Amino acid sequence: MELKFTSRGNRYINFIIEKTEQMRIKINQLLFLVCLFGSIILTGCQKWEDHNDVTDQELKQDLFVQIKGNTNLSKFAELITKSGYDKVLASSRTFTVFAPTNAALASLDAAIIADSAKLSAFVGNHITTQTYFTTGATTQLRLKMLNGKYQNMLNKSIDVATIVEADKYAKNGVVQVIDKMLPVLNNGWEVIQTDASIPALQKNYMLSLFQKMFDPTNAVQIGINQTTGEPIYQPGTDSVTINKFWRSVYDLKDESKQFTLFVLTDAAWTSELNKFKPFCTTLTNNADSTTNFASWAVVKDLAIEGLYNATATTDTVLSKFNVKVPVDKAAIVQTIKTSNGVIYIMNKVDVQPRHKIQPITIEAENYRTTSVDKRGNTYFRDRLNPVTGKIFRDVNVYNHGTVLFNINYRVNEVYSGVKYKAYWVALNDFNGGTAFNQKLAFETPTANTFTLQKADGYTAVNANVYTEVLLGETTLPVYKPVLDVYLTAANSGAAAVNPIVCDYIRLEPQF
Amino acid sequence: MRKFLIKNVLVAAMAVTGLVSCKKLLDVEPKDQLDVSQMYRNVYDADAAIIGIYGKFQTLAERYILLNELRADMLDYTANADEYLRQLSTHTVTKDNPYASPKPFYELIINCNDVLKHFNIMRQENKLKEAEYNQRYSDVASMRSFLYLQLGIHYGKVPYVTDALETVDDVKNESKFPKLEFDVLLDSLIKTMEAIPFKDQYPSGTTLNISVDGYQTNKFYINKKIVLGDLYLWKGNYRKAAEYFRQVMETATTGTPGSQYYMQYKLGWSGSRTSPGSDDHFVRYTRMGDASTLAWTNSWVTMFERAQDNGFNYEWIWVIPFDNKFKPENPFVKLFSPVGGSYLVKPSQEAMDLFNSQTQLAVQGNGLPYDARGNYTWRHIGNQPVVMKYLYNYLDKNTSAPVNILQKNSKWFLFRQTQLLLHFAEAANREGRYLLASAFVNNGLSGAYPAPGSDVTNYHNTLWDSYPYNFDARNSGSSGVPYYRSDWYRHQGIRARANVVNNTYSASDSLVQIENSIVTELGLENGYEGTRWPDLLRIALRRNEPSFIANKVYNKLIKSGASAGLAEAAKQKLLSKDYYLPFNW
Repeated sequence: MELKFTSRGNRYINFIIEKTEQMRIKINQLLFLVCLFGSIILTGCQKWEDHNDVTDQELKQDLFVQIKGNTNLSKFAELITKSGYDKVLASSRTFTVFAPTNAALASLDAAIIADSAKLSAFVGNHITTQTYFTTGATTQLRLKMLNGKYQNMLNKSIDVATIVEADKYAKNGVVQVIDKMLPVLNNGWEVIQTDASIPALQKNYMLSLFQKMFDPTNAVQIGINQTTGEPIYQPGTDSVTINKFWRSVYDLKDESKQFTLFVLTDAAWTSELNKFKPFCTTLTNNADSTTNFASWAVVKDLAIEGLYNATATTDTVLSKFNVKVPVDKAAIVQTIKTSNGVIYIMNKVDVQPRHKIQPITIEAENYRTTSVDKRGNTYFRDRLNPVTGKIFRDVNVYNHGTVLFNINYRVNEVYSGVKYKAYWVALNDFNGGTAFNQKLAFETPTANTFTLQKADGYTAVNANVYTEVLLGETTLPVYKPVLDVYLTAANSGAAAVNPIVCDYIRLEPQF
Repeated sequence: MRKFLIKNVLVAAMAVTGLVSCKKLLDVEPKDQLDVSQMYRNVYDADAAIIGIYGKFQTLAERYILLNELRADMLDYTANADEYLRQLSTHTVTKDNPYASPKPFYELIINCNDVLKHFNIMRQENKLKEAEYNQRYSDVASMRSFLYLQLGIHYGKVPYVTDALETVDDVKNESKFPKLEFDVLLDSLIKTMEAIPFKDQYPSGTTLNISVDGYQTNKFYINKKIVLGDLYLWKGNYRKAAEYFRQVMETATTGTPGSQYYMQYKLGWSGSRTSPGSDDHFVRYTRMGDASTLAWTNSWVTMFERAQDNGFNYEWIWVIPFDNKFKPENPFVKLFSPVGGSYLVKPSQEAMDLFNSQTQLAVQGNGLPYDARGNYTWRHIGNQPVVMKYLYNYLDKNTSAPVNILQKNSKWFLFRQTQLLLHFAEAANREGRYLLASAFVNNGLSGAYPAPGSDVTNYHNTLWDSYPYNFDARNSGSSGVPYYRSDWYRHQGIRARANVVNNTYSASDSLVQIENSIVTELGLENGYEGTRWPDLLRIALRRNEPSFIANKVYNKLIKSGASAGLAEAAKQKLLSKDYYLPFNW
């Protein structure tokens, strides 16, 4: 359906005639000129070549030829040849080469030159693909080098080296001459594993966190379970070994990012551990378990993403779990630079329990499970809270007809020996103004957990209350890696008596 | 030197040769252009001219939406927008702003004039039958009046040209075409529109009411009575406005009563909110009270997504499709979509606040504290608010990803039944029919005139009133005695259909309160459908109350993060009754 407006065609026709005429004249002119130029080109081709030719001789040379030609880079040129990277640099790809001067390479360990693998890694640490100019590095670039490590480039610096001769073009890239070499460093995890200066207690604990995890990516299937229909894998192929620290905190092997890790001296580690052991007691007073729980409580906050500069003015960092970690510069025993960040060995990192043990908020609509499937009686409701002025979503189960109906939530790593005050916001705007009772319970749906609850453990939900209601306090006798929390309906089947409603539950630790 | 001499001589010689030898060649008629002598020979040529007019009208779609929405309070520009778009929103339009040029309007107007001139000639030469002429002439004349109304709305004083000019630039000749005041322009347009010989839509069976590329063409064409009703509404002749709107409302009140009879342009139901029909466009939840179950099928949003079926035809009065199968290209994906488009405009914070200031009908406790039409009208895609109304034929409603990234289909939504009923209510309110006007905004005629018992004989109606305010919505239920199923018995009211609570009005100041609530409702229901600025301006002009429009624009600018100075300047400009764009090209 091409829609086109086509009236007053006569004018167009005149226009076309006119245009055609003009065009004819142009064509004739063109033909003539083509003949004319043809003869000129025949005789004068040499001149064009002169005009188009590359005048900058450096652009005719590839990177390796140019490096070889620079007497100040002769040592690096030797290393390139020795490591075989000369063939790489002569290829058709483009590279940026950070070439250390002869003076910078004077202190290079002879053992590296002698070991071909180490030499290859060393030379590869100075070369990256694509061209990077100092003018383009006005914000920090993290460049992946050919050996898989990364270097930070910012203006005329790469890592700690300064670019002394910048942006030298070659046929297949650019050479940056630098005044220091870029040694190949271990990453954070490799340092923990191999560096002798890492204190033993924290190191041993971190290395003890390996566990096998199911991962069918590379598994070999050898059959099918006749009952469940699930695949059966060849033993040993269906799992990978992974460290809990990589998974739950940060993967310190990741070269592309930067991390700061604080490692405590053995004395500091022991002192921190003892501080948190009372919050990690077990039912049988098992010392090993308590140590284990406390160790995790301590270590999980000791890494942060990014490079923490010890000279920075801040003296507190915020961990991944929002815990304030004080960093006293005077407590830094040793600084170890890694390929992906830095490790500080500290003789004190005094994290306060009131910072470590944080309030727990449970959004009631994000429950884990219910005692009976009552989705058909469950309402996720949006309401405006006039107290906060914000819209919230809650969960309301109504007319479910089940005595002691309950909703289950799970909270991880709840500490013992600390008093928690419990609050909820529960809006009863649907029950005709009649109050009803519901219960918040730990561990089992019918437990009596909090001090202010009635004798049967229930709390009244009065009509149209938008504020937090205090349910009382409780102290867990033992540390719970996983704590079950229940919201339980009244022991009745009547709709007006047994509803459940809740916006959120908040557990506030008391110090 | 010698070379150039030779060249000149050669060229001259060749040119002369070219001239003498090619005369015959050039006499051949070109195949893709029509000479005027070949145009306008029969009714099919006349149809082609009309299709041509509407084809060119489609190229105004982007401009229409931007002028009518971005200048008002509900649409905002994004970081991607250029300076000229920002000018529209902040009311700082410079003379070189291409979006503000009236030229494209006048180009189409000149085309309309040319077509009308030739229709007259065809009629004189008997190339068109009288009925054919009447239908086509009236259509093009209405289109031209619509364009002039748009010009009046955005430029205030404009030249009124009804001649077939040779070039569009002649319009700028003020000695020949003096600029008319908006009010005088309205008089001229009403006079023209009253004089057109045919005020209905193309009847079925005529050559323009057909199916092309999978689209029924009957909704493409302008509704002449809507134009008339709107013109009278602008003019302040509320009785005449209401009469024309009422005629459109009764379009389907003919023949055997059925779904179309009770539903089309009457905002009728076919099912209920809990057991929806496929055609009634309720805002609904699959389990009422559970906010997580907002329905995306057979619901309010369906009207923007659905093909031209019954539900579409009952709701929409004027819609022109954009399809990847034909030109021109759909401008709306470019304007609105961050996926496959340029994402130039977005819903304003003021608009979001408007949706969030409503309360839904109470179920399982209090009502939800927002208008779900907002959830259907815009959504976040990649953390950016996106106007969705035009994108439901392009982006999948569940995933927000394009169904087919290259098939940018959409529709240009120009007018539908809710605007019709609300404009009728606007007129009725001004004529002192407060309860009737509020009935259309709130929960319908039977809601406003409820029956105390099962005998509805004296309720559910306004039959004591004179035309056009006499409605019969009596519904006795299936077992009521006496039994009533009157013409308007399924009518439900706009807020009732949208699942929001009734507006309440204090008796002391009903007129202004109801008028304000009608404008608010137009925003909630018809936001981004290209009538926001006209709706605001009409009220501001009528009440001589520039603050009505100035405060809304000010709020939009302040909430969108514009500087206080910029927002204040826009406010002062509008407060000084400077509502218009520079007339310049």
